[in-house]
Parts: sequence; structure tokens; C-alpha cells
Amino acid sequence: MHGACDVNKKSLGIDMTRTLKHVVLAFIVFIWVLPFFALVTTSLRSETASKTSGFWTAFTPTELGHRFGTHDKGDTEPFISMSGNIFERLNEGKDSFEIEGDVKSILFKGRVPDPDNPEKTKLIRQLIYAGEPMDVRGGEFVFQSSGDFTWTFAEATAAKPKNLDAFINQNPVFGPDAYIEVLFENKNVPNALISSFIVTIPATIIPITIAAFAAYAFAWMRFPGRDWLFVLVVSLMVVPTQLAFLPVLQGFSGIASWATSLNAWMTDCEATKTCQVASKSFASLWVTHTAFGLPLAIYLLRNYIVGLPKELLESARIDGASHLQIFTRLIIPLSVPALASFSIFQFLWVWNDLIVALYIGPADSTDLVFPIRLQKQLGTFKDQLHLLNASAVISIIVPLIVFLSMQRYFIRGLLAGSVKGG
Amino acid sequence: MAQVALIGVNKSFGNVNVIRDIDLQIDDGEFVVFVGPSGCGKSTLLRLIAGLENLTSGQISIADKLVMDLPPSKRGIAMVFQSYALYPHMTVFNNMAFSLDLQGVSKADINDRVQAAATILQMEHLLDRRPAALSGGQRQRVAIGRAIVRNPDVFLFDEPLSNLDAALRHDTRVEIAKLHNQLGATTIYVTHDQVEAMTLADKIVVLKDGEVMQVGSPMDLFNFPANEFVAGFLGSPKMNFFDGVLSGGAGSEQGEFEGQDVNASGARLVSGDKAQGDAVKLGIRPQHLILDDNGPLKGKATLVERLGTETVVELISDKQTSFRFASPESLDIANGQEVSFSFNAAAAHIF
Repeated sequence: MHGACDVNKKSLGIDMTRTLKHVVLAFIVFIWVLPFFALVTTSLRSETASKTSGFWTAFTPTELGHRFGTHDKGDTEPFISMSGNIFERLNEGKDSFEIEGDVKSILFKGRVPDPDNPEKTKLIRQLIYAGEPMDVRGGEFVFQSSGDFTWTFAEATAAKPKNLDAFINQNPVFGPDAYIEVLFENKNVPNALISSFIVTIPATIIPITIAAFAAYAFAWMRFPGRDWLFVLVVSLMVVPTQLAFLPVLQGFSGIASWATSLNAWMTDCEATKTCQVASKSFASLWVTHTAFGLPLAIYLLRNYIVGLPKELLESARIDGASHLQIFTRLIIPLSVPALASFSIFQFLWVWNDLIVALYIGPADSTDLVFPIRLQKQLGTFKDQLHLLNASAVISIIVPLIVFLSMQRYFIRGLLAGSVKGG
Repeated sequence: MAQVALIGVNKSFGNVNVIRDIDLQIDDGEFVVFVGPSGCGKSTLLRLIAGLENLTSGQISIADKLVMDLPPSKRGIAMVFQSYALYPHMTVFNNMAFSLDLQGVSKADINDRVQAAATILQMEHLLDRRPAALSGGQRQRVAIGRAIVRNPDVFLFDEPLSNLDAALRHDTRVEIAKLHNQLGATTIYVTHDQVEAMTLADKIVVLKDGEVMQVGSPMDLFNFPANEFVAGFLGSPKMNFFDGVLSGGAGSEQGEFEGQDVNASGARLVSGDKAQGDAVKLGIRPQHLILDDNGPLKGKATLVERLGTETVVELISDKQTSFRFASPESLDIANGQEVSFSFNAAAAHIF
């Protein structure tokens, strides 16, 4: 009895901890996902909606005011009774974010006989609800919550159109308009996407290639000073990129001026005045990102590769494989998880990098990478939150695809079966 | 001429000498087992022959060719590792074909040789699988197949059975013995298990602390151990040792032993260096003790182990020397019972 009681207490304790863990985890996930959710939601709303209300109102009916005209200005045919629909009038000429919902009320502004002063009229502002008659230009105007209205006169009248303010309990509505605008209506975002790919793909592939070779050498080749050299490489991780901007830029401008003179000497560019080689270019970004990505890449890969079973490499040596053959035919296939995880890291921070691109990347407006383009849009799209958010979502989608497509390589299942137990 | 010859082989890691002055001749087609407790240098010696470690000094020749400066792949050896070391991302076929592929052997030849090896090992149906999809015994066979494909002068096995469970270990041991008969290739096999050594070997090399204790056929080593270590290492249960002095027969083949627990005359005197009165030990195998109520050796049973095929009794003498008795019969000896033994002095050894 006593024992069973103890067990119950214990399992209860475990349950409590587990629940607590789940709550904390859910909270963290919520905080993490919320901004992204807000971004996506806002980018799918209409300009007005995104400007006038927060993203959290986007999923429930919201009461919003809309002004509609009873009929077109050109229609001057006299009529006794006219019928129409408020939504049709509002949505005329719209091909997206069409307004749907219930018409709650219409704001009546006009003169009515003054009960206190029978001689005179007075100006009133009053909300008229569906089904209630309302005097508009001498006719009786009645509307239903479905938006249908009738406007009846005693005799045929050529009434001028009247603009009325309707309060509509509006259904949620989403549309891809912001994306279409951002992607197709000017070239800034497409250019930024292309530039970002031009920067990110080589800036991921180059360091990982160099690092894989270096990591193999640090892990499995014997040469004097190997451990000290490795310590040096790893300690380079502490150098912040920002600290190195000045010398790096000086270096690039030195190379650029040297290349300019070489260009002048080798080609006849002086005639067309095209000798100048830019010091800030895609290539300088590749070199910089490679240089600052290498220490961590070498460190991660070396630690992975050194953990591969020694017998595998010895067996390959007995089988007659050279270092290069061991590298290409054993190390690379077996290191796919490590290579994939590092390339995800490198891809993400090169893709999201603003400051290196700002200092060292090309300054040409067509060559700006995505983060710089976003930063510039903060100025131009200040009032167009939906466009800003659409661009931001586009910039997020690429790394998201990269991450989701590579994440299965994180699972270290490849080594199973090579050694005992496996 | 010897297929493998080691002359004055030394290996040290820093200041630690793990292999000391080993001289060894291995004949063509011989199955040699290096056996010894862990840390005795047997694996290091094998790795020196394979070329995975560099010699500190000495000479190694394989098939009449000095190999000290050759890389492992040029030494004409193939090795089976304790962990099998199969390439996990390759199929069994590619695992076996890897070395041939690196040598530039044609596809058709590779196919023939891999198929041939697979036939010998009866694993043609496994060729398309990856190591992860194989059982321990099958992985073991692939590792052996990978060695066979290379058609080496010498096969090297580094504790190949220690990852298998007991039943499979016995089967695989039998298979390795059959395979050796079939291929007739020179084989060096490292193990810490004296049963594997006794059953497989044409020649056993007993190592201790990097030195060769004794080299010889299994039965020679069992019947005529050259020292106390070999005597104690081979045979199960372990040989019994009794302290005493040499009371006669110094310099001859047979000596007289006088000890606290037991005396013996006519026992095999192992060393010719011992003089009369020197401290020596008398070694008697547990199986060579004979139950005898009037026997000279007396002890009190402390533990009786009934193994079915054998009964092993742990005893302790009046002078606190513990020893064992093993008998193929099932015996009625209870814990704490006083038992007396006699023995045939000719089967005893003086070290």
C-alpha cells in the first residue's frame, strides 16, 4: 500500500513537470510564431484594412464605415422608384477585397422639422437601421441588411445621386494583391531576390567546401602544429565582423585599384572610361562571408568528422584509398548531416545579413540585397504596411524552404550499421 | 621461407614500450593466433604488420618482401576489424568492391570476384543490402568477404568475434576454421579468448606486456607451458599454483617440490636455472587432481559450480592457499566440506 502511494505521488510529480514543460514550450512557440503570423496576415489584407485595424481583427467580422453613391452621376432618367444594392455599388470596379457582410446602419445627415420650433427645421445626424425609412432628397429610402435598398418618390423625379455613409459589419477578406504588387509592379523586390541569391549561394558553397577539406585535415591527417593551428582557427570565431570592416574595406579598395590599373593596362577601356573596378561588389561579399563563416564551419565539421569511426578510415587505407579518395568517397557521404546543418546556418545568416552587405556589398540600386531593400522600403512604404509585410514574407519564405527541405539531414541515421550495435 | 617474418620489432608510444624485441616466423598457410590479456600489445602487433602503426625499430617482411616503408594497401594484407568497419553508406557489394574499384580493376572482374567471395561465404542474397540492414553475424561475414576479395597474402583478424553473442561466436569460429581450410591462406588472428586460440590456431603466440611468452602449437603450450604466465593463461579453469621451494633435481628435467600445502617429486621442472632451495611454484591443472581420501592435498570447499558438463569446486587449504578442482562427473561436495586430493606428479609443473 505504502509503496503504491509513493509511486502515485512520483508519477503525479512527473505529470506536473511535464505539463509545466508543455505550457512553457507552447508559450515560447506562441511568442516565436506570433510576429510571423502577424506579418503574413497583414500582407494578405487590403490596404485600408491593414492601415485601420490590427491583424488580430482580420479574422472576425469588423464594423467599418463605407461611403457609397446611390447611382451613377450620368443616370439622369427620372424615376418613381429605384432599387439597388449597397454592396454592388461599393464593389463596382473592384476585383479584390470585395466587401461582404451585413449593413448595420446608415448615417443620416439632413434637416427635419424641429418639434420645438414648428416653423423651422433642424440639422440632425442620426443612425438609421435596416428597414427604417429615411428621407433622402424628398424620397423614401429604405435599405435591408443584405444591402438591397429602394428609393421611392411620390412622382417621377430625376434625383441627383446621393453619397451615403453605411456602417457595414464586414466579413474577413484576404487577397494576394500586395504580393502581386510587390513582385510584379516594380523591379525592386525581384532584383533584391536575385541579388540575395547571387550573394548567398556562393557565400554558402565556398566556405563549406573549404571547411570540409580543412576539417578532414585537422581531424585525420598528421602534420606538425596541427592542434595549435586548429586552436588558432577556432579562436578566430571571437573576432566580430564589425571590428574588421575597416581593414577589410581597405583591402578590397586596394585590390580594386590594382585591378583598375591592370584593366587600364591590359584593355583599351580608357577610351570608354570603363576602367574603374568597384571595391564593393558581390565578390567582396562572397570573400567576406566566406572568411567570417570559415572558423565555425571548420570547427563544426572537424568535430563531426573526428567522431567518425577510426576503423572506417583504417579499413579504407588498407583498401588502398588515398586521402583524397577517403575524403570524397567516405568522409563527404558520411558527413552529410553536418554539412547540411552548417549550410543551413550559413545560408540563413548570409541571407538575413544587413550590415556586411551595407558596408561591403554593391551600392547600385539594382544590386541591393533583400535586407537592404526592406530597409529602404521602410521609408517608401511607410503607410503601406501590407506591401512592406508582403516583401518581408517573401524574404522569409526562401530560408524557410531551405530549412524545411534540409532538416531531414539533421537526423543522424546514416552511421547506423557501420560499427557494433549500430 | 616464412610468409611473415618479424625481426627485433619494437614499438613505443612516447616512453612506453608496448612491443619489445619481438622475433616471429609465420609459415605459408599457417593459422597463427596472438593471444594475451588486454593491453599486452597483441592488437598493436597486428596493426604494425598491417602498417596502421609505424615501427620504432626492427624489420617486418611479408612474402619475402620488406614492408616497413610500404603503405597498408601495398603489403598484401587484408584486415577484419573488431567493429567490422563496414562503409555504412555503401551496399554490401560496393563494400566488397571498394578496394578493387580503387585499384582500377574492370567492372566485370570486380563482379566476378565479389560474386566468388559471396559464394564462398553463402551471402549472395545480401549483396544489395546496406550494413544497417544486416545482423551482427552477417556484418561479420561481409567484413570477411571484403578481405577475401582482395586476395591477400595474409589475412589479419582483430578480435573479430568479440561483438557477437556466445552462440553465434561458436558458429562463426567454426566457419572461420572451415574458411581457413578452404582458402589455405596465411592468417594472423588476435584474440583475448583462450578458447578461440586453442581451437583455431596452428600456432599460438602468447603475449604479455609486449613480449612473447611462448610460441607453439596449442597442445604444446597446454602440456608444456614455458612459464607460469602461459600455464595460467591457457586452460579453464585456471591452473592451481602452490608456493614452495625446490628441494631436488635442479638442472634436470624433473624436480622435487616441497611446499606448505603439498609436496611432489618427479614433476616437470620448467626452468633449468633454478637451484636447490630456490622459491618455486608447483602448478597442477584442476582437472589433474584426483579425489582421494588419503591424498596429500587437503582443502575446504568454498564454492561448488555445477556446469552440467563439469563440476568446478573452489577450495581453500589450511594455509589459506585457494585452488580449484574440476571433474567431468557431477559430485556430491557441499560447501564447507573437507576434501582430499592426490595427483599424478608427472602432470604437474614446477615454475
